[in-house]
Amino acid sequence: MSAARRLTPLLLLSPYLVLTLVFFIVPLFDAAGLAFYQTNGPRSQAWVGLGNFLFVLGDPDFHQALKNTAIFTLSSLCIQLPLSLGLAMMLAEGKGRIVGWLRLILFSPNLVGQVFVGVMFSVLFMPRFGVVNVGLQALAGWGLEQRWLGDPALVMPAIVMASLWMYVGFNMVYFLAALQGVDKTLVEAARLDGAGPWQVFLHVVLPAIKPVTVFVVLTSTIGSFQLFELPFTLLQGNGPDNAGLTIVGYLYQTAFNAGDLGTGAAVGWILAFIIFIVGLVQIRLTRDRVSG
Amino acid sequence: MRFPYGNAPLALLLVALLAGAGLLMAGWTRPPRPDLVLALFSKEHQHMYTPLVERFEREEGVRVELQLFDNRALQSRLQAAMLAGAEVPDLVEICAPGMGYFCKGPIADVGFVDLTQRIADERIDRLMVPSRFALNSSRGHVFALPHDVHPVGLVYRVDLCEQAGIDPAKLLTWDDFVREGRRIAVDKDGDGVPDRYMIDLPADGDWGVQTLMLQRGDDLFDGAGDVTFDTPSMADLLVWYVHQTRGPQRIGFAAGWGQALNKAMQEGIALFYLAPDWRTYQFQENVPGLAGKLRVMPLPAWTPGGRRTSTWGGTGLAITRASRHQELAWKLAHRLYLQTDGIGDRFLHSNILPPIRTAWTLPEVQRPNPFYGDQRIGALYAGLAPEVPANHVNPYTDLAQAKLNQACIAVGAAFDAGAGDLRAVAGRELKLAADYVRTVMDRNKFMRDAESPATGDQRPASFGQPRTGSP
Repeated sequence: MSAARRLTPLLLLSPYLVLTLVFFIVPLFDAAGLAFYQTNGPRSQAWVGLGNFLFVLGDPDFHQALKNTAIFTLSSLCIQLPLSLGLAMMLAEGKGRIVGWLRLILFSPNLVGQVFVGVMFSVLFMPRFGVVNVGLQALAGWGLEQRWLGDPALVMPAIVMASLWMYVGFNMVYFLAALQGVDKTLVEAARLDGAGPWQVFLHVVLPAIKPVTVFVVLTSTIGSFQLFELPFTLLQGNGPDNAGLTIVGYLYQTAFNAGDLGTGAAVGWILAFIIFIVGLVQIRLTRDRVSG
Repeated sequence: MRFPYGNAPLALLLVALLAGAGLLMAGWTRPPRPDLVLALFSKEHQHMYTPLVERFEREEGVRVELQLFDNRALQSRLQAAMLAGAEVPDLVEICAPGMGYFCKGPIADVGFVDLTQRIADERIDRLMVPSRFALNSSRGHVFALPHDVHPVGLVYRVDLCEQAGIDPAKLLTWDDFVREGRRIAVDKDGDGVPDRYMIDLPADGDWGVQTLMLQRGDDLFDGAGDVTFDTPSMADLLVWYVHQTRGPQRIGFAAGWGQALNKAMQEGIALFYLAPDWRTYQFQENVPGLAGKLRVMPLPAWTPGGRRTSTWGGTGLAITRASRHQELAWKLAHRLYLQTDGIGDRFLHSNILPPIRTAWTLPEVQRPNPFYGDQRIGALYAGLAPEVPANHVNPYTDLAQAKLNQACIAVGAAFDAGAGDLRAVAGRELKLAADYVRTVMDRNKFMRDAESPATGDQRPASFGQPRTGSP
């Protein structure tokens, strides 16, 4: 192979490599160093050692952000994914044009983006005039003045509801694709052997869609830990009593509102570490089950 | 000659090369930077400044560009540009409490020109309401000219007050106000919620508590930048506030913003609305159907004969230190903020009372406003302006506001749970909140290590001290 032919792929890849180097690799290492400094612009930097990490780990606001993010992540995994799977199974069984329409309707909220969803739900959740409260009052004779976005106890349920509307259809598409790949003969054979619907699902369908399930669980977990735009736009900030503060929200607040880039970098590294550990545990758990 | 990797990669490569070349060309053909760039966050300000700027351009033979941004974008981009040493505008309008962000480090590192000496030399502080400099100052140094005074009054539905038998002229104190509020905030139609409320107040405190806090003479920080919101007076305020916004005897309804607020106003859910001058214009624009049905009154006082106004918001015009034409920028600042020509017209398009006291007697400011039933609201706000309290900002203002809200919510939760000594709860929560802010502030090595006095004579350092009565 001539030198020119060997170098051509590198040349073609070079724009990507340069951009990755400049906008990802260098900032990554820069952030690693920055996390040990307190800064006020390029002219003022002071070494604080582990001070930023210690402050963040001891900060009640960070604990609140961690708690909120964990609750949201659990809600995503325990409510959103089963719902997505359930809908996918219903659609997988269905036939005709209606299935296509339903798939489009359920998927379409994902096309509009978190900012749009945040703004839209802030209107839906309005006390006295919002559709949610008016509906509650009409159906249950209660709830006209519920402050979904003003009462700390209701903020997280509101965020979860908005995210369900947005992401259920998105994950459903993955599950639907996986379900369509399940070997029908295996399902038939299990039924002929006397397996009930639950047994078929548990012992035939679920193992068959396991790779996709692991992928969806992992991406949903990572996505949930990165939650920011939805609560930020829905609540126009962190919400009352920091009830909508997430880890990325805390990072934004620290780095860009307070201008403390060093502490912001420390939060970024802590978040990356958390996601890494959670992802590792999930992969390990699912791998153990496969081998067991 | 054939491309060795096929036609598709060749096509992609060509597209990438063409796009890159296009971007480069766009950069090269960009017109030269004007002599001055003024960055704004308000479309109304842009509209009002345009004719003045055009005249300035003709008179000075220079080119000035007005750039409009969303406030949040302006704040964060400017902050990032200053941190990175990138290109910044020559002049910037800063929305309160934004100036605080830029004063995190030593005074020498603030990216704006220190105007303290200029203001003192030209006696500008004597032309304006002195308390307004607090919003744009740090450690006694003034970094922006105040655009406004923003006295706060109450806008009310005159038709509904008449129906309910409320005489606003008799609401001299908040005790009077609450007494009348309790009378009207009742559930007559049996749907479980009051049919009407006395006032629009957010349940989590927020701007409601902050406006009332300033009216009482309290503040989040003092002029030296120390946290000051954990006082007995603030505990009293929080206890008072949760009684008005929670429980069956509440008189406050959180109408929110935007469409929700407009609808609440139209339907008369709440009778009274805290209203700085700028908000009266928003009402004019957003709920035109209420023309003739609204009036403005001073705030009820906390004690008989006490202060009947507060302040909410504010804008300042700052000159960036990186500007190559600082003198020209100062000239433009003069033209926009200190000369009375154009200010009357600006008032008509904003209802915002200018900070220069001589402008308060302009016919435009004094004229009756048809939307408010021909009430002379400019004169009313001008009457309140000398009493406007100082509102000190620092880099931790947002944090302090958030922590104050948390304290308010905690007191509210204790109220809901039927806690006995709410005042003790409020005191404890405020102490927790204030101590948190102190802890975060103490971490700031740059501000702590670099306290510096104002340059020149020390008089400007007192611009931001609270004053009452006529200056």
